[in-house]
Amino acid sequence: MTYHLSIFMENRPGKLEKITKILSDNNINIRAISLASAGEFGVAKLLVNKGDQAFLALKNQNITVSKRKILVILIPDAPGAMYDLLVVLSEKDINLEDCYGFVVESKKQAALVIEAEKYPQAESALREKGYNLLSDQELSNI
Amino acid sequence: MYWEKHIETLDEKTLKETQLKMINETLGKAGEAPFYRNTPIKQIKTLKEFNEVPFTKKQDLRDHFPYGFLRKDLAEAVRLHSSSGTTGNPTVVFHTKADIKNWTNQVTRCMYMIGVRRQDVFQNTMGYGLFTGGLGLHYGAEELGALTIPIGPGNSRRQIWFMRTFGTTVVHILPSYALRLYSLFAEMHLDPKKDTKLKIFIIGSEPHSEKLRRQIEGLFGVKAYNSYGLSEMCGPGVGFECPCQDGIHLWEDYYYVEVINPKTEEPLPPGEEGELVLTTLQKEAMPLLRYRTGDLTRIIPGRCRCGRIHKRIERIKGRADDMLIINGVNLFPIQIEETIMKIPGVGNNYLIEVKTENFMDKLYVKVEVDNKIFEGTLSGLTHLQNKITGELKTEITVTPVVQLAEPGSLPVWEGKAKRVRDLRKN
Repeated sequence: MTYHLSIFMENRPGKLEKITKILSDNNINIRAISLASAGEFGVAKLLVNKGDQAFLALKNQNITVSKRKILVILIPDAPGAMYDLLVVLSEKDINLEDCYGFVVESKKQAALVIEAEKYPQAESALREKGYNLLSDQELSNI
Repeated sequence: MYWEKHIETLDEKTLKETQLKMINETLGKAGEAPFYRNTPIKQIKTLKEFNEVPFTKKQDLRDHFPYGFLRKDLAEAVRLHSSSGTTGNPTVVFHTKADIKNWTNQVTRCMYMIGVRRQDVFQNTMGYGLFTGGLGLHYGAEELGALTIPIGPGNSRRQIWFMRTFGTTVVHILPSYALRLYSLFAEMHLDPKKDTKLKIFIIGSEPHSEKLRRQIEGLFGVKAYNSYGLSEMCGPGVGFECPCQDGIHLWEDYYYVEVINPKTEEPLPPGEEGELVLTTLQKEAMPLLRYRTGDLTRIIPGRCRCGRIHKRIERIKGRADDMLIINGVNLFPIQIEETIMKIPGVGNNYLIEVKTENFMDKLYVKVEVDNKIFEGTLSGLTHLQNKITGELKTEITVTPVVQLAEPGSLPVWEGKAKRVRDLRKN
């Protein structure tokens, strides 16, 4: 399963710093990050190179963290690429619960991270159209 | 200036004799209630002997919920008032028709004493319902013959509109709310001193300082009188300031007044600060003997210049227990604890903070989330936050600001005191 880490955080100075310190101390690389806030508190989603190790390290420090299943899809780093992908999903009436992306190789390749509500359908719809979904191993090798 | 001159200005000797007689009647009546039935209660010959009667505590009312203190058949009761919530049993008080009449008389006496007359227009901004603040004053004002506007709390624009449209002269109001209301007057470019007919404020239900009272008087151009009461006795009307504004007279034909050291339970002489203890002298449905009010005050020695014999206490200094008063609503931290701990997703620690915001009390409840059941979504967290807010509102009737905190971020349980931070001014 490909997953990212979802972390509950109070929306205050130093909170994110504490998380990154734990990851730094454990020599974990952050691939991408997204933050969503509900005012006083929020949730940080972190995509890292060594998920299991990061999860344990955070747990050990009493951080409220959970693993969330994701799909990481490689797309061209070019105009319209994200649109093309989203058409595939919306045609199947698949809703996204979270979404962010990062560039893998400038002007050549980007990755889109999604949390979807219907995983098997989302996965098969994307594979049918020839999209490359990254495995855990592939992800950590980026 | 007296509603019942013969009672208000009674001589000391007659008052003491009357009280002795009434205490013995009350001891007899109380013995008919299940709670007191097993306590050996003998008639007394002197008031000093009354010191041997055991105290009644709030916890007794809870432990013998709901009918343990009811001495009359339920059919005789005509009214029930209750404290907030259902956790650990609320404090429920019953009244017969005679009790309501007596309560009304106490309130009428209080209002007449501070100058309210039948020509007055009385706007009652206290809450109606199970809370005694609204209904208590309401009956007294009507008995007096004043036009009574039972508007209840909130909706400040409407409050001001009623005041101006119907020429309100007397207002029953929380002191904190009076300041908030004034800020709206100012915002509307109105001056209560010129643009209303206000002359008397009855302020109560929450502790406040002399400074705050004078501030209210200055802003509105009124005389503000401190009202004291508790639902276990009846509600507002138990005691009131007279025009001298030098202490709260407690009606000694209705209550036997003592102040004790809350730790040793020894009665204290006038002038010394301790916990106020009251015994009902005319209550029919639910007589209470030596009831520990939890309110800290002292009896002011000497007679009042107004000529009334009834003892005066100083404004309430605070509580002997951990009860919180939030905008006039009484609640206990345990109600909050029991409510939130039942909710899945709530962790081990919480912190209660009370602050002053925009002149009013604001209750903050910080709750640690449970590490184990976090499923990683923001919507799950806001759902938890809304659930905690809703359940607390149901229990304590106050809407708190619920803040979710990371596990381990709040002070660890070391007794109740650390879990409540009262950061209010005044």
